[in-house]
Amino acid sequence: MSDMDYPTFNVRYDENNQEFSIIGSMRPRQVDEMDSCTRSLKASIALVKGTFYINVRRLLRLNNLAFHTLATHLIKACEERPELRISIITSSVVGWSTRKFRALQETNPRIAVEEYDSDFYPGQIFLEEGSFIPILRTQTKMTWRHERDILPRHGMRKGLAIADICCGIGDFAVLVHKEFDPSRLVALDHSQSSLDYARKVAGDFGIQGIEYVYGDAADMLLEDNQFDLVTCRHSLQIFDRPELILRELYRICKPGGRVYVTNEKNSHCLGEPRAESIQWTYTEVARLFAHFGMDVELGPKSRRYLLDAGFDEVRMESFMVTNMDGDPQDFADIIQSWENVYAGQMSVQRGDDKAFNTRLRQGFQDHIFAATHPKGYAGWPIWVASGRKPQ
Amino acid sequence: MREAREDGYFAPLLSIDLDIAAFASNWSYCDRLSSYFARMISHNRTDSLLYANLFSSALNELLETVFRVHGAAGNLTCRVSRHAERDRIELTVPCGKSESAFYQGAVANLVGEDIEDRYRAALFREGPMDAGVGLLELAVDYGADFSVEAMPQAIRLVAELSLEGRRS
Repeated sequence: MSDMDYPTFNVRYDENNQEFSIIGSMRPRQVDEMDSCTRSLKASIALVKGTFYINVRRLLRLNNLAFHTLATHLIKACEERPELRISIITSSVVGWSTRKFRALQETNPRIAVEEYDSDFYPGQIFLEEGSFIPILRTQTKMTWRHERDILPRHGMRKGLAIADICCGIGDFAVLVHKEFDPSRLVALDHSQSSLDYARKVAGDFGIQGIEYVYGDAADMLLEDNQFDLVTCRHSLQIFDRPELILRELYRICKPGGRVYVTNEKNSHCLGEPRAESIQWTYTEVARLFAHFGMDVELGPKSRRYLLDAGFDEVRMESFMVTNMDGDPQDFADIIQSWENVYAGQMSVQRGDDKAFNTRLRQGFQDHIFAATHPKGYAGWPIWVASGRKPQ
Repeated sequence: MREAREDGYFAPLLSIDLDIAAFASNWSYCDRLSSYFARMISHNRTDSLLYANLFSSALNELLETVFRVHGAAGNLTCRVSRHAERDRIELTVPCGKSESAFYQGAVANLVGEDIEDRYRAALFREGPMDAGVGLLELAVDYGADFSVEAMPQAIRLVAELSLEGRRS
């Protein structure tokens, strides 16, 4: 834009998807500053058959002059090409864009506006129900006993700018805030209900200074190179394309900063006595998640994912949450909630028969038996990995 | 930042004062100032990123209006203050008679049941954009309330808006 010494927006056309994307900030002073964009837009429209998609999900800023210029070209294209349909894909995360572009929809019935992220990850609905929240807190309480000591080995120290991506109900962010006093702490999640809960918890504990932000981890609006440490816990494993999230974690991390991820390998959950039944159930749990596009075996693959994403100095370790970490009943409560969701909902939705479901449930009950047995041992292994963004 | 007071007091958050000629020498100041203000005042809002995006969009339109319509000499002042969930943007803009008349007319144009239609008409009109379209947008899309006050060789334009919870 005028007087800027760097380009503020990019446009690109994906011919396979007939999708024209505009990314960045578009606030021109004069119409001619958009010439390259409008030329590209017109050339793209000329190639389209059927529906032309305009992706403005990552168009953060747009002034009225730029909107007017884009709108003029799109309306004209519809007038000249009676068969042409235009679909504009906005994002609720940006805040202003759906409302703004809907005005365009009213000018021509062949222009439609779709808000892409009204439902980011429907497959994860199982894990975001209100009944699951207490157990998420118990899980964090049990993992924190380990991670509090592990985190400094992965770059955590006092006074850092930290982002916790896929923060869920925000309890990890609260613990980090208390223990490590960051200079800035942003906690992002795609679930509004989880964020509402997170804000309430922070308020109840009188904690100020955590910025809870709504967004898509695979397509964040946070700026580049902002954070000394970026954490993303138990989340890569429940996205169908974890490399997209890692790309974003890399982008927002400062050069020289680190990205810290934790993930499970569910089939390695264990217990004694009744080891065989437990092992069978958790192997089936991994298959069940795979059916819904989630890889809960990802833990040991973290090193490869981090290296493939461009990180260096990758550090990796694992720890085991067990029934001997504090109250065994806490561990048992976690297992019971897993049974309720995995066997009670996911297995049912997959259409498993009763015999399978009964056996699946039995493994969870055996795990609880092991956890609460006076001589028993029950474990839930977690892999920690971090990588440095090169300077 | 202070807690909201019962008496409607708007707590000052941030203020900038600069020569109008310096401001008008570089278009990108609109973007930079609006982005800076937005980032500074949004950190403790419910969703800081969303709030900053919305505030930056709103303030940028006001600053672009000022960039296009202002007097030759004097200081531009931009002040932002807050009462509970309501933010007040105060712009003191150096103005001669014609510029002052523009702002008086633009604010007078922000009433009436057909305001949304007039905003859409301004947005899609062929040819050059109406300089008042930014104020119309704030009134329609952001629910902003405006007032304007004539001062010696200047006007004071005030926009009050509530952006918390405002998503498309």
